[in-house]
Amino acid sequence: MVLELHVWGPGFSLPSIDAQCLATIAYFSLAVPKDSWVLVASSDPTVSPTHELPALKNGSTWVSRFRNIVDYLRQYSNGAWDLDRDLSALEKADSIAFSSFVESRTQALLDLSLYVTSQNYYNSTSPAYGAILQWPNQWIIPPQLHDAAKSRTEPLGLSSLDLEEMEQQQKRDHSAAIAAGRIPQNFIRRPRETVSGLLGRTSQQNQFRLEALTAELFQPLEEALGDKTNFLSGQAARSSLDCLAVGYLSLALVPDLPHKWLRNSMQRKAPRLSQHIDRMRRELYGTVNVSDAFSSSGGSSLPWQAPDRARLVTVGTTLLNSLADATPILKDIRLNNRLRETAEASDSGLSPVESQSLAAYARGQSKDTLLSIATVIGGVAALLGYMVHVGVFSAQEEGEEEDHEQEHTRDYEDQEAEVQLPESVNVSDFLGVNTAAL
Amino acid sequence: MTTNNDSRPEQRPDDSRREPHRARDFFSVPAPVKRLFDRFPLITYPANELPHCALSTQRGNRLFVFTDAAGVRRGRPSFNPQCLKWQAYLKFVGIDFELISSNNHASPSGVLPFLLPSPPADISTPIPASKLQKWAIEEVHCEEEQQLNVRFEVYSSLLDTGIRNAWLYSLYLNHENFEAVARPLYVNPSTTNSAVRSALAAQLQQAARDELLKSSTYIDASALEAEAAEAFEALSTLLGDKVHFFDRPNPGLFDASVFAFTHLILDQNMGWKYNRLGQLLSQHENLVQHRERLLKFF
Repeated sequence: MVLELHVWGPGFSLPSIDAQCLATIAYFSLAVPKDSWVLVASSDPTVSPTHELPALKNGSTWVSRFRNIVDYLRQYSNGAWDLDRDLSALEKADSIAFSSFVESRTQALLDLSLYVTSQNYYNSTSPAYGAILQWPNQWIIPPQLHDAAKSRTEPLGLSSLDLEEMEQQQKRDHSAAIAAGRIPQNFIRRPRETVSGLLGRTSQQNQFRLEALTAELFQPLEEALGDKTNFLSGQAARSSLDCLAVGYLSLALVPDLPHKWLRNSMQRKAPRLSQHIDRMRRELYGTVNVSDAFSSSGGSSLPWQAPDRARLVTVGTTLLNSLADATPILKDIRLNNRLRETAEASDSGLSPVESQSLAAYARGQSKDTLLSIATVIGGVAALLGYMVHVGVFSAQEEGEEEDHEQEHTRDYEDQEAEVQLPESVNVSDFLGVNTAAL
Repeated sequence: MTTNNDSRPEQRPDDSRREPHRARDFFSVPAPVKRLFDRFPLITYPANELPHCALSTQRGNRLFVFTDAAGVRRGRPSFNPQCLKWQAYLKFVGIDFELISSNNHASPSGVLPFLLPSPPADISTPIPASKLQKWAIEEVHCEEEQQLNVRFEVYSSLLDTGIRNAWLYSLYLNHENFEAVARPLYVNPSTTNSAVRSALAAQLQQAARDELLKSSTYIDASALEAEAAEAFEALSTLLGDKVHFFDRPNPGLFDASVFAFTHLILDQNMGWKYNRLGQLLSQHENLVQHRERLLKFF
């Protein structure tokens, strides 16, 4: 049986655009013989029942996430495809701790660099996704990933890397100025922020924070690597930790982004680590073009298999799903259903008691949602009933007619005023130039 | 210049007449709603007096944590891992402080714990959890342990991700545990109103769920528990047969961080209904003994 590894497609000349997928590819190319697996750039999480990539398909069994796939490979091959089998107890502990460290810290920095930093997202990441995704996913998935990355990095307080956020803040300030000053909207000077100007300012604000974040990640890794050829001491062979590191850190090192703060600080703070990662990713991945993934017979070192083209049914369900996920109340119901489905599925790995309690919990949640819908409907109905009872509507209708008549006369006045405007208003008054001085 | 001055008084009334119209068109409130809101505020109470309880006359450091009245009297460990970590750390480095039962809404930064230093220091500045270590180092000149061993930060990430996520799941999202443990500790002391209680409970659970969904697309209980099991195994190996982590003579910040979770997971008084984490942790004898040794400080 040939194992199928489904991943996000290639980007930035790496075989995948996602760190977990890169790590899994590295593990496969080190551990699994080349004729026993194929790599499918399906780039669609819905191919697997868990809605996650990377996902490994073996017959009818699906396994997702790096760690689960590594565990599955160990069981499937009776330990033959286990890169960690020769580790001592202390090395095993180190491997667990460093893996968790690399995953959590690097993910935050990658989120900041690839998604939250606006120029990088709009000029590099989003087009890269556009190249590997099919219609309509290319319009649906990148914004979802963008939002997820933003919410993950929110606690770090670096939202000023995000130009969109800044613009919204400006708009709020702007409308506050209008409300406060009663100044006609057209005459408020709107400062045009240039990108370089913004960067100049934000980079000063963020510099210290980013320095600290990158130093926290790179210094321990540089120290752990030392002069060795891999992370864990005393081992000639590479372990799963090396795979994870090359997966995550090559996304920090390789992409050629407009705003290169992550790559620069990695090369500056951890020169040995950078060289090591660069060497490893050349050896394991080579240089990948997007077209390699979609033509099965390529000169690439990886066993690519072209993904199935999307059928009409798949496109339809994708559209329906994204529509449903965008609808407020429906979204909650669907989220709970997703939890319940995975709990009740027999191969979810939960014990019967656990899955029962999880399913019961999810059912309770959907009851809550229905209850809240009912409450809202009841409340609105009560309000409407009260308004009818008091006679608000009839009173308002009369009032509206009067308003209409008044509006007609007002419209004429408005037009006259606007015609007069250019002649009589001195623009410099509003721009703050002192006319008396003239 | 003269034309400017002449045109101004002419323009002003026109302008001022135009503005309200426009404002009314876009921003005006419907008449019935406006009538309703005109009646507010119904009553304005006089401002509260400043609190002058016995506490403000006392001169010690005050640490604000999640705890109950009995906990305050006897200095028992807090039932919140974050608070317990700092409570234990301050005890280990030998700083005297007084516990005060509090909640998130009382904190200047929105999270507990925080510390009000004793009056000789600057009384008006509360110290949030992120600055507590720096403050303690200045007070008693203990060492900054992060600098001593590169593994400090690396193994801390096990506590911050693997064990914390499993803790969030088992405390807030496991239905039985939430009813038996979290509700009496976090929800019920806030209010006696059952509607507010259920709203608070729902908020807490939603916050925990959001936190877990940040790192994955769905919540997989078995994966969370497996990660916690791995983390306990790694910590147990790191501790080995030493008395404290990193073979230090006295317990420090890392011991406090580990103790904060291991104590609460193993504590019989918490009343866990479903304690898979406890089962996983009990397999590592040295971590259990480590917790018992440190419990003697309380």
